[in-house]
Amino acid sequence: MSRFFATGSDSESEESSSADEITPKATGTTFNKNKEAFTPNLILCCPLRFRFEELTNIIKTIRNAMKIRDMSKCLEEFEQLYRAFLKSKTIVDKEGVPQFYIRLLADLEDYLNQLWEDKEGKKKMNKNNAKALSTLRQKIRKYNKDFETEIASYKEVLNSSTNVISLCRCQDEESESDDDEDSEDWGSDSVDSGGESEDNEGAAASLAVVFLKKAQDGDKQHEPKKDGRRKRHKKIEQVEEEVDEDGEAEEGGWEKVKGGVPLVKEKPKMFAKGTEINSAVVIKKLTEILQARGKKGTDRAAQIELLHALSGISNENNLGQGILVKIKFNIIASLYDYNTNLAAFMKPEMWKKCLECIDELLDILFENNNIFIGENIAEDSENLAISDQPFRVRGCILTLVERMDEEFTKIMQNTDPHSQEYVDNLKDEGRVCGIIDRLLQYLESKGSTEEVCRIYLRRIMHTYYKFDYKAHRRSLGLQGETKSEQDQEESEGEDSAIIMDRLCKFIYAKDRTDRIRTCAILCHIYHHALHSRWYQARDLMLMSHLQDNIQHADPPVQILYNRTMVQLGICAFRQGMIKDAHNALLDIQSSGRAKELLGQGLLMRNMQERNAEQEKIEKRRQVPFHMHINLELLECVYLVSAMLLEIPYMAAHEFDARRRMISKQFHHQLRVGERQPLLGPPESMREHVVAASKAMKMGDWRTCHSFIINEKMNSKVWDLFPETQCVREMLVRKIQEESLRTYLFTYSSVYDSISMETLSEMFELELPTVHSIISKMIINEELMASLDQPTQTVVMHRTEPTSLQNMALQLAEKLGGLVENNERVFDLKQGVYGGYFNRDQKGGYQQKQNYQRGGYRNQNQSSY
Amino acid sequence: MASRKEAPSGKSLDSPVRQIQIEGLVRPHHQALQGSEVVQGVLLGLVVEDRLEITNCFPFPQHTEDDADFDEVQYQMEMMRSLRHVNIDHLHVGWYQSTFYGSFVSRALLDSQFSYQHAIEESVVLIYDPIKTAQGSLCLKAYRLTPKLMEICREKDFSADGLKKASVGYENMFEEVPIVIKNSHLINVLLWELEDKSTAADKHELLNLSSSTHLEKSLQMLMDRVDEMSQDIVKYNNYCRSLSKQQQQKHQYIQRRQQENAQRQSRGEPPLPEEDLSKMFKPPQPPPRMDTLLIASQLSTYCQTIKEFTSQNLGKLFMAEALQGTSSYS
Repeated sequence: MSRFFATGSDSESEESSSADEITPKATGTTFNKNKEAFTPNLILCCPLRFRFEELTNIIKTIRNAMKIRDMSKCLEEFEQLYRAFLKSKTIVDKEGVPQFYIRLLADLEDYLNQLWEDKEGKKKMNKNNAKALSTLRQKIRKYNKDFETEIASYKEVLNSSTNVISLCRCQDEESESDDDEDSEDWGSDSVDSGGESEDNEGAAASLAVVFLKKAQDGDKQHEPKKDGRRKRHKKIEQVEEEVDEDGEAEEGGWEKVKGGVPLVKEKPKMFAKGTEINSAVVIKKLTEILQARGKKGTDRAAQIELLHALSGISNENNLGQGILVKIKFNIIASLYDYNTNLAAFMKPEMWKKCLECIDELLDILFENNNIFIGENIAEDSENLAISDQPFRVRGCILTLVERMDEEFTKIMQNTDPHSQEYVDNLKDEGRVCGIIDRLLQYLESKGSTEEVCRIYLRRIMHTYYKFDYKAHRRSLGLQGETKSEQDQEESEGEDSAIIMDRLCKFIYAKDRTDRIRTCAILCHIYHHALHSRWYQARDLMLMSHLQDNIQHADPPVQILYNRTMVQLGICAFRQGMIKDAHNALLDIQSSGRAKELLGQGLLMRNMQERNAEQEKIEKRRQVPFHMHINLELLECVYLVSAMLLEIPYMAAHEFDARRRMISKQFHHQLRVGERQPLLGPPESMREHVVAASKAMKMGDWRTCHSFIINEKMNSKVWDLFPETQCVREMLVRKIQEESLRTYLFTYSSVYDSISMETLSEMFELELPTVHSIISKMIINEELMASLDQPTQTVVMHRTEPTSLQNMALQLAEKLGGLVENNERVFDLKQGVYGGYFNRDQKGGYQQKQNYQRGGYRNQNQSSY
Repeated sequence: MASRKEAPSGKSLDSPVRQIQIEGLVRPHHQALQGSEVVQGVLLGLVVEDRLEITNCFPFPQHTEDDADFDEVQYQMEMMRSLRHVNIDHLHVGWYQSTFYGSFVSRALLDSQFSYQHAIEESVVLIYDPIKTAQGSLCLKAYRLTPKLMEICREKDFSADGLKKASVGYENMFEEVPIVIKNSHLINVLLWELEDKSTAADKHELLNLSSSTHLEKSLQMLMDRVDEMSQDIVKYNNYCRSLSKQQQQKHQYIQRRQQENAQRQSRGEPPLPEEDLSKMFKPPQPPPRMDTLLIASQLSTYCQTIKEFTSQNLGKLFMAEALQGTSSYS
């Protein structure tokens, strides 16, 4: 309605509503009149609709431009309209000038005249607009001369409708009306309802009009269509012809038409009825479809549909497996093509279809041994049809499956990991694995070693991160009987360890690309580590020498390497090799970017450093959620191992000025803990570890134990291990031992002698263990003491320097530094580098110092 | 104890004050003296010939941050006026400061002593160590800035060159003025009496090896200063290096320019215009050397105190040994 305001016609809202009222009235008449002509021919009405839609679109923009008084835009659009109208000349000739067109012309002229008269407004206009206004006015005056009669009649109707309106309101929808009007009215109405759907009141009726319009249209175009049939051409070609007739002789009419036509209508026109469908025709069709691939206007969804239909047809007509394989290849390829954006992921239905297709393809390949596929078979040497020779089809199933795998990863990356949807998607993993397995079998018999390597790697990638529960259970023994049937079935399969071993060894032997081997090694190590085969994992890691050159690898491999290192560290921890665990985790943990390094999420603080493009790339690298390594577990393992190493070390080197930190991160946590003004009971994992460290510093292993192993920590961390119990026992043991060491370091100065029995009671360790720990400390010169065998006591030697002596030593060291610095200044002054003392002498100076210190100690010892 | 008078050293000092005579009455009486907090106050007295007699003092009030608008000058004037009313010397002759384990050499001390000496030529700063005094050895020292240092402070030239030119080392930054303590007869009598009354046990305190905590503390502080010193030296070193590097660059640049000019001249072209070299090669900011000097001076005081302390202790040890030896032989 509003557009009537803009036209500036003097009639008020009454009038505009009348324009709406015309619709139902008119439809009623046409409906009745053309009832008998209702023979739907859906295709043929399309060019007309297409044309008219174009026109109405332009008209709409013109009206908008009128509303905002944008004359230059108006002019531009008017010229376009003019051209579009010329294009649809044929239709117009048949149908007569559509009412809406006339209406626009009339309105536009009125509007322009009005503007022209408005001198004030014209002055306000800017130059461009004023110029456009004058040209447009001239043009429309000239142009409208051709439509004089129509416009006049329109205006008449407009005036009369103001009178009619009251009548219209009360009239029934099906009531008859003047016959002379309706033949012209239908066009405007139907297009209005289709394009703008403004007519709410008469919605139902106008729907009917759309139908009717088509019907009528079909009626009128009946003849040409018959001609087409007679020619026994494919229908599609006929459409093309028609489009050509319409003056649209640009490029690939085929696609253009499809764009406008709803999908449902495609199917019947695949082949003309009665065409003898043989392989040649189908291949031709296939190439025809494929040529459209990748072009701009191509509807990709429609293309997939077409290919599906084609495969159906070829199947029906038994055209042989070769063609079917070829078509399947192309369907899958176009499924992948569907998303032009690399970051976007497949829709679920597409994904399902893709899986099905690949499955079917594999079925065919398995059933028919005489099909050769390969990417190096040239297009023209393909043999698709002749069934007595082996089929040769171009295409690479391996690439398709690899792509499928990538798509799967992409889907998983893009699903919210905490939703049910993720679980549903993850269920497809089984199918993906199944497909990979089948392809693996296929390629084992047919493919080259390179291909086998590639598919093996895919298989490995889907295996390495999964914990093999059945093998684990089997290794624990005897539970097999109580298991349910399903479990038994499961356990019949090969152990994943054996599979991994077989696949990886094949790759080690046969692979020629470094990348696949590297990945395989890493996965192998990961798998070993996951299943607590520490020594195999470690040896493999050391033998591979990956640590030396991993920084040259591409980021995904580096991420894999990081994951492997972390898994290795966690494995070492489970085995009680605290030092190894710490070393393996140090690099990852110390950077503070564990999340990023493991590909498990992006860090926020890096946001400003990278642009959107980089972020996209990084997002694509992320590991799907189900493969994640628990970061809290990682951190906890790291901190606990750091604690077990650091606390005794700190106690031993309390006064050492040159004490270095074993773990910076651990110290950081300790400092954070110290900074707390009020220390409550620990809440988070870190606080637990810090509290435990404090207890351990005092040699209080019980408190330490209770902080490390309790309900909270169990649920947060320890229960995530497969062998929880073992790990916990190991931990308790370690805590006892290290607490004992810490205790001895810290408090040895207050004892003259201490009974080992007391110690073993204090730390609940067996006497031999205590004995061995203390002996080790004595051997390493960490503890100045000797063991008194008969009384089972440790006798302290008291050789540790007093605090004053320590201080003096520190001072001496500092002074040494000062002297050195001073010398440097002196050197500079003298202009001789290394003068005064040269390097050797300097070393000698320090050596002497060391010697003196040692002498001091020796002296003291000898005095006892 | 009456023999606490220190003999005036024969060292000739080129300052107007050669000796300081302190009345026994003058004792910085603060409650806070035991703590590590530094207390300061004003010394009053008068100059007699080349002798500065300090006859009275009063502390600066310890004011907290609550009364920030406290006017110290006003307070001092008020105080001196009051003292004048009761006929006490009211001439301002310096100030005193307590110290903690002998750490007093600082920038603040330098600055305030400079301003004192600038305004009142004969003023001194009296350093008093309450902790050491409590342990039995009076520690009271009077210092003045040497004329050389005064010169430098006046010119505010603390660069390495300036210090070098003035030949100011850490040794001759401050001059110690000998102190003579003069008690009134009444006090002397009291002291005699006290000495008579004191028991033998008190006297044996003399042999007490004061705990090693003192030494530890001193060492600790010595270490801190050494650290600072190291840092300063490193800074200076860096400065020197960057300076020499720049000199080299500058030199190269000039040479190149000269060569080019020579070539141009041979080709008959006009020489390149002179550019402002100092703009192109901005010399790096030299680190202030005064702090280093102060640290060095402080270090030397520490060393002095430690030396004193250890020598005393060693003497005590020998004495104790001798005593033990005689007792075990007898």
